[in-house]
Amino acid sequence: MNPAGRRLLPYLLLLPGTAWLLLFFAVPMAFMLVMSLQEGSLSAGYQLTWNWGIYPEVATRYGSLFVRSISYALATTLLTLAIGYPMAYTIAFYGGRLKNALVLVVIMPFFVSFVIRTLNWRMILSDNGLVFGTLKDAGILEQSYRFLATPASVIFGLTYNFLPFMVLPLYVALEKIDRRMIEAAADLYASRAQAFWRITFQLSLPGVVAGSLLTFIPAVGDFINADIIGARSPDVAMVGNVIQRLFLSVNDFPAAAALGFVLVAGTMLLVGVYTRLVGTDRLTS
Amino acid sequence: MSDLEERGEIERAIDRILRQDPMSRRTFMRRTGRGGIALGAMLTLPSLLAACAPAKTKLEWANWPLYIDIDEESSPDPTPYPSLNAFIKETGIDVHYVEAINDNEEFYGTIQPDLAAGNATDWDIVSPTSWMVKRMADEGYLEELDQSKLPLWTANCADYAKGLWFDPDNKYSVWWQGGITGIGYDPNLTGREITSFDDLLDPAFKGRVGGFSDMRDMMTLTLASLGIDPTTATVADAQQAKEKLLAASRDGQFRGFYGNEYYDSLAAGDLVASVAWSGDITQMQLNDNDKVLFVVPKDGAPRWNDNLVIPKKAAWIDQAHKLINYWYDPAAATTLSEYIGYFSPVTGISERIKADADAYRADGDTENADYYDAVAPTVAPSEDQLANTFDYPQFENPDDEKAWNDMFLEVTTAGG
Repeated sequence: MNPAGRRLLPYLLLLPGTAWLLLFFAVPMAFMLVMSLQEGSLSAGYQLTWNWGIYPEVATRYGSLFVRSISYALATTLLTLAIGYPMAYTIAFYGGRLKNALVLVVIMPFFVSFVIRTLNWRMILSDNGLVFGTLKDAGILEQSYRFLATPASVIFGLTYNFLPFMVLPLYVALEKIDRRMIEAAADLYASRAQAFWRITFQLSLPGVVAGSLLTFIPAVGDFINADIIGARSPDVAMVGNVIQRLFLSVNDFPAAAALGFVLVAGTMLLVGVYTRLVGTDRLTS
Repeated sequence: MSDLEERGEIERAIDRILRQDPMSRRTFMRRTGRGGIALGAMLTLPSLLAACAPAKTKLEWANWPLYIDIDEESSPDPTPYPSLNAFIKETGIDVHYVEAINDNEEFYGTIQPDLAAGNATDWDIVSPTSWMVKRMADEGYLEELDQSKLPLWTANCADYAKGLWFDPDNKYSVWWQGGITGIGYDPNLTGREITSFDDLLDPAFKGRVGGFSDMRDMMTLTLASLGIDPTTATVADAQQAKEKLLAASRDGQFRGFYGNEYYDSLAAGDLVASVAWSGDITQMQLNDNDKVLFVVPKDGAPRWNDNLVIPKKAAWIDQAHKLINYWYDPAAATTLSEYIGYFSPVTGISERIKADADAYRADGDTENADYYDAVAPTVAPSEDQLANTFDYPQFENPDDEKAWNDMFLEVTTAGG
């Protein structure tokens, strides 16, 4: 291959991915930005008036919902990490011949639709359902207790639904750790805890980062859990719920587009800060 | 968006399963989708359009889900809808009945671009709610009805079902079915009688009360409770209603702002009281929970109706008139009402259902006789109900409607 071709090759290889991003991310984002700056109504039509004022308007009106969505997503990420890490660790280190079968079990819920699973949880967790009805009959819980339509129930739903997204990257990272390094740490008089913290955990960090991103990003914009498990309670409404209502039942497209744009931008910012702080760059350099 | 699409399909699948058994289907005879987040219509419309053959062979009718009599077992041809089959056999006009409307605004969003561009939509009949009829008529999106082709409407339409505010001369629309948004409650759980919307806000029921996610229903109920006529309420009036609802919402009075799911929560006792649709509670008493009562709040409640209209440039205007006329045939209207139990626009349906109940009783079929006896009084509004109910707010200015929507969105997302 001639030198010019060699210089062009990486760009050529990047072309499909770049085109994909352009077509399915950059272009829709540009559409959404333009939509957000229009004024009018569905009937009268929308005109582009460069109405930047919509941004401070939605920020003040729905600011608290952003805070709520981010805190739910953070709680979800931490919970999935706390639950998922031991799972992934056990499968990677003690799975033996069952490893693949166990990974299959982790992704098994994906064989059933996300919405059906969530609807099922609503039934199981209803006030007098399988779980709480039994606990109430046994006198362990007060009759007036309820779990559905509370913030905890929405975080529960998010955690349940996103757990596999945390476990899989963690498993991949843990699985490829060379065991001899842990043995070497033991040979150098590291306690098991020290060996875990300084070897295993450090080497699994790329999995932690990937898992947190895969969990946090969709959780922030989720609206199905607040809708189904949260019973559309005013206490649990997330940004995604408002965007959905503005788009589909209020037909206020500019405000919905502005909220969507802020959500994407805000998520990117948070993710940028996060990867800068604990990202994989630091580990490889 | 695949989640949404999936969800629409799932809801349809659940509908289909329930329809296998007419008795359990009755428990689901509520108007799914009103104000709900059901999303099927918008997402499945393109596929429906794509499936449309260029030569028209069927009359296309978009209606709300679970809003027609269904019997797949005994008369599956050509549709699962007995009353519609009778029309198809009588006239030879094939009808493609589609449950495409889950939300007025959402459905409007799917046909508005075509109408605005002066093109035909793929529908010959659609079934919008009162205020949406007005909006579509004002935009010039509806064909005028030729009343000379609707002799049964002229002969049989009840007074309460014609000449209403949104179309005073029935130039564009006639009634399909209607109902009242009131309160359903279980007196054993509330421990007291409930007679007004304010009773729903009693702090004793904190967190166990259901609201609706439908702005018009909730704001109308609240305005009426403040002694304001909702039909003529201003933005300032709406502000007052918002403050009242917002305070209750912040205090955690409402467990949630529901679509159709309120039915299950109310029947199960998770909700001690909830805003409710009239037809639903009749069904609930018959099938799911006979302790739940329906009341029209003493300060007033919204009365609504859905209508049959022909969108501009529809291909089969003549045939659409024939079908619209057909629904005012008392026999067809009776079949329909015996199954869905909302307010029928046809006079004398209550008496006809009563007669059917008597016939069943004479045959010794007490189960069906009891069922029809219970349905009979619910298919027409009583004088009291008419006197004590309001039409929805009539927004002359679209900005007002937006302001109301924004206020209500604040209420439904206001929790701590």
